[in-house]
Amino acid sequence: MNTIAGSNAYFLDGAIFFTISLVFVVLPFIGYFIFLFTGDKRLSRASFFVLAAGLLLQTFAFVLRWTYSYHIGIHTPPFVDLYDSLVFFAYVIIAGFVLVRIFYDFDALGFIITLTAAAALGFASFSPLAPSTIEPTMPALQSSYLIYHIITLFIAYGAFGTAFGLGILYLIKNRKESVPGKKTGRFLSLLPEISVIEEAIYKIVVFGLVFLTAGIIIGAAWADNAWGGYWSWDPKETWSLITWITYILFVHARFARGWGGKRLAWIAIIGFAVVIFCYLGVDLVIPGLHSYATPGSKQIL
Amino acid sequence: MFSKLNKFFSSVKLAIFLLIALASLSVVGTLINQGEPMSQYAKIFGHGLLFEVFYWLGFLNIFGSWYFITLSSLLVVNLVVSSANTFPRAFKTVFGPFPYFSVILERKNPKAAYSTLNTKKNNEDAQSSIETAFGKPLRETGTPGGPKELYFAKNSIFRMAPYIAHASVIVILAGVILNFVYGFRSYANLKEGQLTNFSYLLQNNKPVKLPFSLRLDKYRTVYYPDGIVKSYVSRISILNKNHISVLTKDIKVNQPLTYKGITMYQASYGHYRPDAIKFMTFNLVNDKAQGLISMEPYKLYNYNGSYLRLIPLPHASGNQIPFLIAVYKDPGNKPSDASKELFFNLGSYARGGKEIPFIYTKYKNTGFVYSGIKHYYYSGIEITRNSYTAVIWTGSIMLVLALFFSFFFNQSRYWVRLSPGEKGKGSLIEIIGLPRKKFAMFYKNFNDKIERIKRELNSK
Ligand code: HEM
Repeated sequence: MNTIAGSNAYFLDGAIFFTISLVFVVLPFIGYFIFLFTGDKRLSRASFFVLAAGLLLQTFAFVLRWTYSYHIGIHTPPFVDLYDSLVFFAYVIIAGFVLVRIFYDFDALGFIITLTAAAALGFASFSPLAPSTIEPTMPALQSSYLIYHIITLFIAYGAFGTAFGLGILYLIKNRKESVPGKKTGRFLSLLPEISVIEEAIYKIVVFGLVFLTAGIIIGAAWADNAWGGYWSWDPKETWSLITWITYILFVHARFARGWGGKRLAWIAIIGFAVVIFCYLGVDLVIPGLHSYATPGSKQIL
Repeated sequence: MFSKLNKFFSSVKLAIFLLIALASLSVVGTLINQGEPMSQYAKIFGHGLLFEVFYWLGFLNIFGSWYFITLSSLLVVNLVVSSANTFPRAFKTVFGPFPYFSVILERKNPKAAYSTLNTKKNNEDAQSSIETAFGKPLRETGTPGGPKELYFAKNSIFRMAPYIAHASVIVILAGVILNFVYGFRSYANLKEGQLTNFSYLLQNNKPVKLPFSLRLDKYRTVYYPDGIVKSYVSRISILNKNHISVLTKDIKVNQPLTYKGITMYQASYGHYRPDAIKFMTFNLVNDKAQGLISMEPYKLYNYNGSYLRLIPLPHASGNQIPFLIAVYKDPGNKPSDASKELFFNLGSYARGGKEIPFIYTKYKNTGFVYSGIKHYYYSGIEITRNSYTAVIWTGSIMLVLALFFSFFFNQSRYWVRLSPGEKGKGSLIEIIGLPRKKFAMFYKNFNDKIERIKRELNSK
């Protein structure tokens, strides 16, 4: 189904630049990984700059893809199919990490972020399940709500991904430190204080929660505008609510006696598993309104 | 008794339990399709024990089940009781009366940070140094020259934000309930040209009378060049009591029409069977086109004094065209008594160097040329009254703002006691800092502030 976009679309629609940007993610991954064992700051700084360059390249690719899709008469921003959403996900978590890194000394987080981003980007670039051609969008998606719905949700997902990485670091550090008499290794000494990690997890989760809440509400408003029901308990909607409940639980767990940072770290980890299921699993397991496939049936919605 | 209940219903542990329970039930609700017709469930689960168990547990309509609604209601009670219990204290932290230094000191709050400074400066100078770090005090007590107490608060107004977040959850639920009670969701499948002032409820097909009439003027599907659907468009007219059209508009997915509080959405489309076949008719004497007629199978049509009926041929062989037109002398005849059967042939004519095929037959002076199938489209229009969605959106905006203000504005309070130093010379400064949340950042900031005060004291 490649009649609108010609054979050179791979260049014009920016997909090639996303594929190239994979190099700018994999190299920092290697750098950050070695950094975990050597603690060489030059390595982490170099990784950071390569990653930031990759982010710029991806920004360029997005602009290209967006203008191209309008150019070929598809008046929808490029956020609708699985390919787009995967590269956007990678983009958001890299951007999130770059921002967090400016404020906190979290180089130890780099390897998890770059690994996740590389996985999403690699899957998008090479899996036949996620073709990069820009397809005309079905009527239900032709709405100005689309872009706000997706951007808010992906900012939230990016934040939860970062919190997930921090949650793991928290547990590792907490475990090692609670063993008395054991010398802390190089890896642990690179991590910030455990209380600082806890604070960062909280702040990043609540940042994500604000966007998640807004994204779900925009989705409901969109559904109301498109087919007259703001909520229909469709599996994707329900899973987004489950995600929301998980993070509301996170926020309140702090007020319950005896729920310390360890449990919070666990909720941040489980929460991200729920996010991933909501984002990818639902489509693979349960088809519904939001599945990334084109609908073949007559029923429009 | 009452205080026990009160304690139970305000506990955060109950909230955690309820949230986990609701999330788990929701998971079940996504694994089993909800709200399908029973015949569909019979297909999936059969009529056996599995179906019985699911049915009995309410798993087939879990979001409307008594336990889902009960747990949600308990969550609301939990939310209200907990907020009501803690609100007076939160209100006092914002608007006073604020507690005094000695009271806070005695409480030995584990979150608090303490610091004591000795300086040669007098109390006035000490106070001005403190104010460079903490700003203007909210309250100042004591005598000039004598012992003095200062109270500072940062961002304390945002202490109200969680309560607004909780209230907005209630507002959203109120909107949902109002819509449920006073609104409806219904549909009407309208044939092109059809007029109605009824629609049918989605949940049980009961008819609803609309305060106006609705006519489908035209339905069409618009395609992209490569055949993918671009949009579904229904042109509908609203007619008033006197059958006068007051409004005509195209509705599409994402572009509904609202009239008198009722909104009409493009929801589905289809065409009725049987379809009709279109024929172009020609006068063979002068070769002039006469017009276009559409014939549904087996229906009798009067054409220039003869009666025609389209008969499909399900078992057409070889090159045979799979329908014919039967001709009758009078309308009372049975289908089998045709006076003549007009079979169709394949012909062609040349135009612009190309052979263009066509399918035709003739009767007396009239030629019939097949010119396609006519679909009788209908459009599925969803007709909804959601008058209270504004309540939901108001609550939603409140919620997002309240979340933002609860999360991003760290609140902290400081008590400072100034007393004369040893032997009446200089001053003794005692400072307590109390954050709302026990974050590392707060203690770092607290130390920075103390350092700043020290520098101020030394520089003067
Ligand atoms: C269902 C939706 C709910 C939402 C959106 C919500 C939202 C919030 C938010 C944003 C905060 C501030 C958290 C922070 O500053 O870190 C908060 C605090 C709190 N919530 Fe909820 N909450 C919900 C349900 C509940 C329930 C069911 C309870 C019942 C116990 C509850 C009890 C509390 C308490 C005790 C606090 C601490 C208040 C304080 O700062 O003094 N919440 N809530």
